[in-house]
Amino acid sequence: MAYRDNDKYADVPQELKQKLFDEVKADERYDDYLYGCYECGICVSACPSARFYDYSPRVIAQTMAREDLNRFYEILADDIWNCAQCFSCVRCPRQNNPGGLVTLIREVAVRNGLKETREVLQGYSRVIYKVMLKGNQVSPDMLRPDFFPDWGPWVQEFSANMREWRLAIPTDTLRGVTDAAWKTDPKTLRELYYIWYSTGNLELIQEVDPGLHGLIAEVVEEELAETEWAD
Amino acid sequence: MKTVTLDLDQINVRKTRVFPRDPNAAVAHDLRDELFELEAKGEIIVQRVPEPYIQVQTKFGRVKKIPIEHTWHHKSCGQCGHIPGYTTAIFWLHRQLGLDYIDPTDQTSCTGWNYYASATSNAVAQAAVMMRNFAAAYETGYFPTIHCGTSFGHYKECREQLIKHQDLRDGVRRVLDKLGKPLVIPEEIVHYSEWIHAMRHEIAQRQVFDLSHITACVHPACHYHKIVPEDAIYDWEVFGGQRTATVTGLVQALGATAADYSTWFDCCGFGFRHVLVQRDFTRSFAVQRKIQVMIMEANPDVVITHDTGCVTTLDKSQFSGKAHDYKVGVPVISDAQLAALAMGAHPFRVLQMHWHSSDWRPLMQKIGIDWEYYWQEFQEDLAAIKRGDKAGVTWQDSDTPIRTQEHVLARVPSSAAAFSKEFSMSQRLTTPVGE
Amino acid sequence: MSSHRVLIIGGGPAGLTAARHVSDLGFHATLIEKQAQLGGTPIASHYAALTHGFRDAEDAFRDLIHQVTDDKQIDVRLNSRVVGCEGRVGNFNVHVANGAGAETLDAGAIIVATGFEHFDPARETQIYNYYTYPDVITLADMELMLKSKTVTRRSNGALPERVCFIQCVGSRDRQIGNEYCSKVCCGVASKQAIEIKQLVPTAKLFIFYIDMRMYGYWENEIYWPAQEKYKVNYIKGIVTEVIQKGDKLLVRGEDTTMGRPMEVTMDLVVLSVGMEPSAGTKEIAHALQLKQNKYGFIEVPHESLDPTVTSTPGIFVAGAAAGPKDLDDTMSMAGLAALRAMAAVRGAN
Repeated sequence: MAYRDNDKYADVPQELKQKLFDEVKADERYDDYLYGCYECGICVSACPSARFYDYSPRVIAQTMAREDLNRFYEILADDIWNCAQCFSCVRCPRQNNPGGLVTLIREVAVRNGLKETREVLQGYSRVIYKVMLKGNQVSPDMLRPDFFPDWGPWVQEFSANMREWRLAIPTDTLRGVTDAAWKTDPKTLRELYYIWYSTGNLELIQEVDPGLHGLIAEVVEEELAETEWAD
Repeated sequence: MKTVTLDLDQINVRKTRVFPRDPNAAVAHDLRDELFELEAKGEIIVQRVPEPYIQVQTKFGRVKKIPIEHTWHHKSCGQCGHIPGYTTAIFWLHRQLGLDYIDPTDQTSCTGWNYYASATSNAVAQAAVMMRNFAAAYETGYFPTIHCGTSFGHYKECREQLIKHQDLRDGVRRVLDKLGKPLVIPEEIVHYSEWIHAMRHEIAQRQVFDLSHITACVHPACHYHKIVPEDAIYDWEVFGGQRTATVTGLVQALGATAADYSTWFDCCGFGFRHVLVQRDFTRSFAVQRKIQVMIMEANPDVVITHDTGCVTTLDKSQFSGKAHDYKVGVPVISDAQLAALAMGAHPFRVLQMHWHSSDWRPLMQKIGIDWEYYWQEFQEDLAAIKRGDKAGVTWQDSDTPIRTQEHVLARVPSSAAAFSKEFSMSQRLTTPVGE
Repeated sequence: MSSHRVLIIGGGPAGLTAARHVSDLGFHATLIEKQAQLGGTPIASHYAALTHGFRDAEDAFRDLIHQVTDDKQIDVRLNSRVVGCEGRVGNFNVHVANGAGAETLDAGAIIVATGFEHFDPARETQIYNYYTYPDVITLADMELMLKSKTVTRRSNGALPERVCFIQCVGSRDRQIGNEYCSKVCCGVASKQAIEIKQLVPTAKLFIFYIDMRMYGYWENEIYWPAQEKYKVNYIKGIVTEVIQKGDKLLVRGEDTTMGRPMEVTMDLVVLSVGMEPSAGTKEIAHALQLKQNKYGFIEVPHESLDPTVTSTPGIFVAGAAAGPKDLDDTMSMAGLAALRAMAAVRGAN
């Protein structure tokens, strides 16, 4: 059923849109995240992205409720990446969770390796590499002037002194560590790798960035070979 | 219709009514009931909050237990990686108060930042990461305290889903069984800032710097009070119980002014993915909706918040605002750093102020800290490290509060270490909540 | 021993009306009222005009109160409360406490008319700061001002230039646990907007709403005139925050018909607080062991076809004790409850 006639993704088959829509709805969290919407606008009022982008958490909730496949596909391909995931929208008096819907829709976009999703995640792959292998989202050595020019001369000063600054921290687990946020036991990391491996998280990366997947899988498989967990 | 003269002050009287939260009338159900049911069925272990604990009230009145010590510190990757004075201040406070804690190496991030940034994960993996960390804490016998607001919020979401969905529990159990770890969920999920809130009077007792001339704007962290809102701390004495008391409670206890500003509910602009790969949004939001509004409406000396992303975003985004002539230029630190600062922590060895980019020097001056002296001292540390004469700065170098006799408050006891833990804590534990 | 007495609990619109009808048809009524005066919430809260017809509330209820107090067949007990009850239809023993002590009254049937109370904005999950900012008030506070013919800002006594109403405060909200609509607030807010405009013709008025529920004649008598004659602005979208900005109040919401976030300043913000069961309703449910619905109102098992029947034979309910009601419905329900109570007394004897 089309509610609008200007369909940006007219070339995408309806069957595919339906399949992806059904995949979102099949998530067991879906019913907790969408009850019904009476258009009070509370979510939009509280939403930071609605002030900055042409983005509306209310439209996300309405689109899902109406099963508007064409608009859904636009959300899947584009809108979801505008959400700041701050969950200001959970003030919804109906107890909808538009931010949570965005998380579910993003998962489907990633799992299906959408072209638009792969593009969005391109600049982000070094973070995925870090989080999966080090168990930390960020580390001091990621604070490079070429990545953070807008943070001003501080980044240069930091870069020039990183080693000494890191050693000058009394917290034992932080002192001297530059390639991770803190010192983690090798066994702990292997346990993390087993989680990625056994929950399908590794295959997921294959969908969005095969090259990155190769790099991560190599380390994970090598480390898990040291354990008795992997099949 | 005729005119009746009525005393309109009746309206003002109505508006001063005290309306304490009634735990029995709380709308949101107490998740712990379901946790204990699952425990009774043998599905999970519920790790109890160790005694002594402090009772605080949450949004709809439920009483939450905050452990005082024997805590296992679930660190934050953003804090440890980019704001190390944040983490260090939390530990320093524990050391000053003589409280037992573990800073573990058997811990990973929650990986929630990545999940909210890219969704390159799934519900089972996310819950398994949480449960691996909880099992690691349980094995030590210490109770988890979560440093990161996102971990705190994300774990509560994961906990809710685990309680609701049997197949999710089974999926996670398969993973943890293989790793030889039990399924453990703590009785309460506790954020370190709740510990600071609960301990704020103890902290204030050890305050060595007067902050009564300091104005602070508080930014409450989204993932602290918006995800699972019923679990955040509220107090009738803080903004009439209309917003979370965490952080503001500390600022007030330390005698500083917590100044209101009109965009306090707005997020900082972090956006999880935006701060890393789409910072036009982050910069604009942080500067235009937060920092500039704070400066125009309250002109604070400092911005205090209680989460990783908020400190980073609000601090680092100010540089770009300068180029566009926005009103910027206020230091941003965490509540833990403010508490430690008030108690005389070394500005560089402990607070690691050099990792903050917005100018913190005027704040130090206004408080009366001779930061140049301590910077010089720290430069000597760095030089010794560079020469290889010193392996690094240690707790031994950092534990002692800095000397600032002329600023010591009269109410500080001559020996800060003489505080009787038993006395003050038993006093708190018997204070009824909600009456 | 069976009793012919109908005992009515609550001296508000429903209780007064029920007592009058019971007496009109020749039965004895005892009216128990917790307060020192009759009239219930409309009088205690100083309501100005009734929504339907704009009649002065005090005038309207004065007549009704006199009909009851002048009636020899109605025994009015003020400052009294029901604390317990035994027996069954035709033969209840009701324990009534007052300042002087306690006594037991016999009754053949009982009518519960204990009403509602205004939702306390402290429990609101949106951020309206009722207890923080003087210029944020409720519908009940505005009634008090309208009754005094003085609509001024509480902060400085000045006439307001811009006044807004925020609808559905404490109603239609799963987070608070009040999923129901309180029925009257759309009408009351629109009525008040008209009255404010009459008193302060220079004021600009706004009503932020989700749905305007203006049943039947409220549409042509209130809603349309408010919009057409009094130029009240109806904006579809609810306010999430009220913030003090200088000496004005900044209200934030979404103008959902425009699809964009909205921020406007106001001088006076009126929260359209809904109905919750009164403390008396909850107490009486406990004392009489009546089933309550999930919101605490008295449960009516077959509401559409038999709207005054409770979980106990011989005990009937009238008015907002059974859930949100406007005055018209309350009065009709009180008449029916009186009829049912007398039939129950007669049937049991």
